[in-house]
Amino acid sequence: MLALAAGMFLASCEPEIEVPSISAGSQLDLTKYVAVGNSLTAGFQDNGLYREGQLNSYPAILAQQFRIVGGGEFAQPLFSEAEANGSGYIKVGSLVGGIPIPEPVAAQATRGGTLPGGAKALSKYLEPVQNLGIPGISVLTSASAAYGASNPYLERLLEPAEVGNKAYIQEVLESQPTFFSMWLGSNDVLGYALAGGEPSNPTQALTNKATFENIYTNFINNLTANGAEGILVNIPDVKTVPFFTTVPYNALTLTTQAQVDALNAAYGSGALGITFTLGPNPLIVRDPDAPAGFRQIKSTELVLLPALEGIALQGYGSQVPLPGNLFLSEREIDEINDFTSSYNQVIKNIAAAKNLAFFDVNNYFNTIKGGFVMDAVTYAPTFVTGNLFSLDGIHLTPRGYAILANEMIKTINAKYSAQIPTVDATKYRAVLLP
Amino acid sequence: MKKKFLALIVGSLLSGAAMAGGYQVNLASQRQIGMGHTGTGITTGTSSIFFNPGAMSFLRENGVTIGASGIISKIAYQAPEPSGATAMTDNPTGTPFHVYGVFGISDKLKAGLGVYTPFGSTVNWGNDWNGRFALSELTLQAIFIQPTLSYQITDQLGIGAGFVYAIGGVNLQRDLPLQNSEGAYANAELDGKANGVGFNAGIFFKPSEQLSFGLSYRSKVDMKVSGGDVTFSNIPTSPAIAGRFPAGTEFDATLPLPATLTLGAGFMPTQDLTIAVDVSHVGWSAYKSLRFDYSQDVNGSNFAENARNYKDAYIYRIGGEYNVSDVFALRAGAYYDGTPVQEGYLTPETPDSDSRGLSVGFGYKLSDDLSVDASFLYINKKKRTDASDLSGGIAGTYKSVAYIPGIALNYKF
Repeated sequence: MLALAAGMFLASCEPEIEVPSISAGSQLDLTKYVAVGNSLTAGFQDNGLYREGQLNSYPAILAQQFRIVGGGEFAQPLFSEAEANGSGYIKVGSLVGGIPIPEPVAAQATRGGTLPGGAKALSKYLEPVQNLGIPGISVLTSASAAYGASNPYLERLLEPAEVGNKAYIQEVLESQPTFFSMWLGSNDVLGYALAGGEPSNPTQALTNKATFENIYTNFINNLTANGAEGILVNIPDVKTVPFFTTVPYNALTLTTQAQVDALNAAYGSGALGITFTLGPNPLIVRDPDAPAGFRQIKSTELVLLPALEGIALQGYGSQVPLPGNLFLSEREIDEINDFTSSYNQVIKNIAAAKNLAFFDVNNYFNTIKGGFVMDAVTYAPTFVTGNLFSLDGIHLTPRGYAILANEMIKTINAKYSAQIPTVDATKYRAVLLP
Repeated sequence: MKKKFLALIVGSLLSGAAMAGGYQVNLASQRQIGMGHTGTGITTGTSSIFFNPGAMSFLRENGVTIGASGIISKIAYQAPEPSGATAMTDNPTGTPFHVYGVFGISDKLKAGLGVYTPFGSTVNWGNDWNGRFALSELTLQAIFIQPTLSYQITDQLGIGAGFVYAIGGVNLQRDLPLQNSEGAYANAELDGKANGVGFNAGIFFKPSEQLSFGLSYRSKVDMKVSGGDVTFSNIPTSPAIAGRFPAGTEFDATLPLPATLTLGAGFMPTQDLTIAVDVSHVGWSAYKSLRFDYSQDVNGSNFAENARNYKDAYIYRIGGEYNVSDVFALRAGAYYDGTPVQEGYLTPETPDSDSRGLSVGFGYKLSDDLSVDASFLYINKKKRTDASDLSGGIAGTYKSVAYIPGIALNYKF
């Protein structure tokens, strides 16, 4: 009895910190949130879309926090538990000399057959969904009725009769959101960048600037026609994405004089203006415009992540000049920067014109380039060790998505005078290592 | 019976959650806790061994005191706005104790032995909160063993000093931001025994029946851990990673337990009323950094160090005792304990802030030889918000409270 009384007394005397007031404010209607975007919105990570990534997608995190302030339910096109591996993905199989060697995890959500263009068809999901993140989609393809036939992630959401006959924009508009997030446009430039500036199909080309502006503006005009509020997110700078920043230009490290001599002899003993020295050397890259068809890479040029294994194991960048699709030349980088800033200007303008929240993720990644510490954990946009980016070097880890979701919540709070709480990002995983 | 009691309290958890400034635990006598933990400027019975060895020589009878407190403490945490993350510590009840014995060698010269726990901390945040990569659980223990001599130079003046041998230990656990293929976080546990030496000296001056003064100095004690064990678990098994967290790693560390200089005064306007005030200066600036030196490289470095840069702090105390009857006394007191932790340096191990203490207590004489003291202390630390960006801590808002009941038995002979 006494113990009970004492227990009650002590329980009632616990230290209390006034909980910050929580509210969506008076300007937001979060009844129906719809997420518009590409792979980053779908929850793509580790080079695949699978159930864990979907469950931890930033739209799922936003919706979960919206619910705390009265938001509605949020449906995602989740792969079933039986098909949890979804499209398949990669994990770290082993670490060789500190380099993670990827190990594929097989797809489980293929339904047999291939789509035009060669992609494997995925299990259909025909219930209405609010996470409309479609890996691979761009502003350009969002307006194409035919695109739904070749993109397996869009195809799986469309009724059979709609496949090849319904543009993504239409699918989005039919969802009739009261609030939306739109992070679209990365693929209009990323397809080109990922291909090392050497597009092998039309989706890898840079989207015409005027076309981008027309489609994007039309998309937002329609989406906000019924008064929906939303947040627009722009396109990150490729120079803040590990896929482009992990392998240094001088990744050719020579440790013996014999290696130096052999390479010097192989490359014309200096006659071509190429010499090798002990220590780090610029990689040799293929360049049809160079007199010899190859040259040393410049320090301002970017080597793509997939070159890592080739450099370590197949003599890429030394005996074998690095192919043009494994690096971005100065000219290609300038082009990418030019298109990125042009697209970003469109996004910023329409956000202002429509009085929408605007999250400048391009600037955000630039501000954290040097890393930051949160909750005694160091984060940086670096491959594997930075905790933010997943094993494909482009898409985020669940932790990275949670941190971005928190930044978006802060942006929404500021724009709409809301007090939506952010999440504890440490509850979400970073990179798993064997 | 007394032996059993002693065994019981020594055998249980020794340290309390750090409920004074920093990791100091000011719970050295049940009578004095009741009086706001004053005691340097008055005679406090056997506990003068702690409060002022100079006053020990004024004791007229031999005596033994044995007592303990139970610290029931909780710390609430709220991550920086607009985060919805919160946490609450689940600290075990701390049981700091004190045992004093004083024996008169002559009328003027007294010998005493004190065993008490003036520092310690047990903070358990668990493995679920957002700060677990800084700290999940910390246990700090320190037991001071202090043989003491005190000499009464004149009827009005006494001096005393004691040598302090301190034993204790530290156990620190935290998660590492490293996940194996099952998603489990790696963790590190540092566990070591510590010891150190110091002294405690005091002067007591009682010019009249109504007035007394005291000055005491308890020196800094550097608690040194040498060859403590570092245990890693759930480390990914790949040699490239596992090799960075080698098994069998040992650590050395030194934690300074700061010097405390106290000036106290006592006023006895009537035979039945005692009022005491104390002002203490605590030399916390000795705590510059928390550094662990490893016997081999851990994740590429042979040490880990985080700045603490504590600043010296003052404690102001007032307390009173009123003898309601020949056998019954009531006590009350209050104190204000300034925090040594500067802005930017707050840590989850000691989420300290200025604290206010309110106490009540009573004493009851069971017989001519035996008496009991009981006290209850309530500590409320100011809510504090800090970026914790200079200490490797966890940003956010912290609020601590503690309820500390205690009891002691005194036997005179």
